[in-house]
Amino acid sequence: MTEITTAWICLFLPLAATVAIALAGNALGRRAAGLLATGAVACSFVAAAVSFVSLLGHNPSSRSHVSTAWSWLTAGSLHFGLSILVDPLSVFMMLVVSGVGALIVGYSIGYMHGDDEERRYFAYMAFFVFSMLLLVQGGNLVLLLAGWGLVGLSSYLLIGFWHERPSAVAAAKKAFVMNAFGDATFALALFLLIAKTGTLDYQAVFTSAGGLSTAVLALVSLGLLGGAVAKSAQLPLHTWLPDAMEGPTPVSALIHAATMVTAGVYLIVRMSPIFELSPHVQDTAAALGAFTLVAAGLIALVQTDIKRVIAYSTMSQIGYMFLGAGLGAYASGLFHLLTHAFFKALLFLAAGLVIHALAGEQDIRKMGGLRRLMPKTYACFLVGSLSLVGIPPFSGFFSKDPIVAAASARGDAFGWMMYVLALAGAGLTGAYTFRLVFRVFGGEPSGFVRETFDARHGEGPLVMLVPVAALALLATAGGWLQVPGGWSAVSDWLRPVAAPLVEATTSQEALASALSVAAGVAGVAVAWWIYSARRAPAPEPWPELEHKLYFDELYDAVFYRPAATAARLLLALVEGPLVGGSIEGLSGGVRRLAALTRRLQTGLVRTYALALAASLAVLAVVFIAVR
Amino acid sequence: MRGPDVVWYLGVAAVMFSTGALGVLLRRSPLIVLLSLELMLNAANLALIAFSRGHGGGAGQIFALSVMAVAASEVVVGLGLIVAMARRKLALDVDKLTSLRG
Repeated sequence: MTEITTAWICLFLPLAATVAIALAGNALGRRAAGLLATGAVACSFVAAAVSFVSLLGHNPSSRSHVSTAWSWLTAGSLHFGLSILVDPLSVFMMLVVSGVGALIVGYSIGYMHGDDEERRYFAYMAFFVFSMLLLVQGGNLVLLLAGWGLVGLSSYLLIGFWHERPSAVAAAKKAFVMNAFGDATFALALFLLIAKTGTLDYQAVFTSAGGLSTAVLALVSLGLLGGAVAKSAQLPLHTWLPDAMEGPTPVSALIHAATMVTAGVYLIVRMSPIFELSPHVQDTAAALGAFTLVAAGLIALVQTDIKRVIAYSTMSQIGYMFLGAGLGAYASGLFHLLTHAFFKALLFLAAGLVIHALAGEQDIRKMGGLRRLMPKTYACFLVGSLSLVGIPPFSGFFSKDPIVAAASARGDAFGWMMYVLALAGAGLTGAYTFRLVFRVFGGEPSGFVRETFDARHGEGPLVMLVPVAALALLATAGGWLQVPGGWSAVSDWLRPVAAPLVEATTSQEALASALSVAAGVAGVAVAWWIYSARRAPAPEPWPELEHKLYFDELYDAVFYRPAATAARLLLALVEGPLVGGSIEGLSGGVRRLAALTRRLQTGLVRTYALALAASLAVLAVVFIAVR
Repeated sequence: MRGPDVVWYLGVAAVMFSTGALGVLLRRSPLIVLLSLELMLNAANLALIAFSRGHGGGAGQIFALSVMAVAASEVVVGLGLIVAMARRKLALDVDKLTSLRG
């Protein structure tokens, strides 16, 4: 079984690189650490590709294999093996994670060059790739949860990588806490599954799920949805993702755009048999995705930090994936995941080139006119933007529109509502993306740019430009894997794991494509009108959007402040008088007693001798008297 | 049994012990204190040997031998301390040595 061996190799190579970098320490050069991490992830990609080719050789119905290395956890009658699942879905995700991962880790060699702790960075990056691969390859829900937690950990470590910045540390903490909330609901869902079915193996769970009551199924799928929503930064657990941009840009590209945040989509597709049994929860997922894609698009319109704009765009695009997965168009959601990984990683890495060239500046109000100074970066960024907006023939066009079409294929009022929201999101995408393009690259170079940009520095070292170019190529061509009305490579590949619930007809596809391209172009036109042609003054941003719809303020008021007030009260009423008071009373009593008894120690030998003699005399008298 | 009764010996031992104890309590020169201590130990020895003779067993005599050994080592340490004090030109007065006062 080639595919199983290569899948194990794919999983453990990045871990081996992490361990090697961690143990070698200073013995390993900085560049060598980067090359080692990149090489390991690239080899993982090769192994994943071999698994893919090997699976292609099988009949579609026999492409699912479970391989167990050893029994990992035994608790009572429950046994969990350290096992991996090799099936079309996991191989698909392996290819995305290791392929995009290898490009981004390679790019980091240039981006992180000269940083104080390069080796630590590469160890974390390789560890993240391992965790993500564990997440997608885990052969049962326990390993999925383990990978789920480990990606949260590595995301925390990498957001806070520049630990001397208080804002980065705070962002890392925020991401960890919000993810922990999702992890908790996920774990509760698993507890419920164990209690009701006695197993956490995918197949066994799916088989026995049919016999569960509606309430249990709803609770389980709600718990899973909670985990997915937190990890994928959907409403209402999204506030950590924009702050996570405090991490290095390649981290944002890999973890907070291409791979980890899409884990929620993977989870919904992987657990689709459960979700399909509780359709209301699945509709909730779709609705959350739709609302997120509009809300994030609106907020992205007013952000001024280049990375935060792209971060909100990521939330918005994951909203599309959630919409697809929630509607039951699993392959469309995953296809959008694939193309999004290409073009969003491309946008982040190109933004990283800009930030790198402008000495770390991220405020788009200070930028402008970079088109002539950085022509290659501009071209790549433009490819990514066109792809994001969904302009044919770039990849976003092929992957976003089937999701919109799936909403219309559903046919009921709910479907049409999703349809409208998705189209509105497409228009917003055009507007905020090209606002970014025109502000950063269009016009004349701003004073800040002229001052900062160093022509000798150029656009960046080759090691950074090559991954960007490769991603630009993938973002251009990746969409042609699946052409509506033509061929459907991705859907056919994934059909054995997650057969779609809705399938749009060709006319629905055509209508959705036309409308969403029109909306996208309209958005671009608005951005052009305001930011390039300057025919209209830039409107004042609504305060609601500048405050990101007040989610941070709401959570601050609802969760943080009551907890802080309660803690202060407890400190004043319980900790101070009761706990502290009792300890202080005890120590004070001992001290006073000691002050009394130390008077007995005169230091005079003769008093001691007198005491001895006197007590001896008393003892003698007592003995004589008692007898 | 010949000689005086055990009680006489014990009387002598008690007088010696009391003399020694009073010496320890009242004198301030460390040398005299040591001498008084020796007196107390030897009073105890006298009592031990008297009892040993009185009961006809050997244990008391053996015990007296070990008390002598203890006394000898105690004198070695005590005299050593006194010599060290004299070397450092400290006053030879036990009441002046109060650094252990609490």
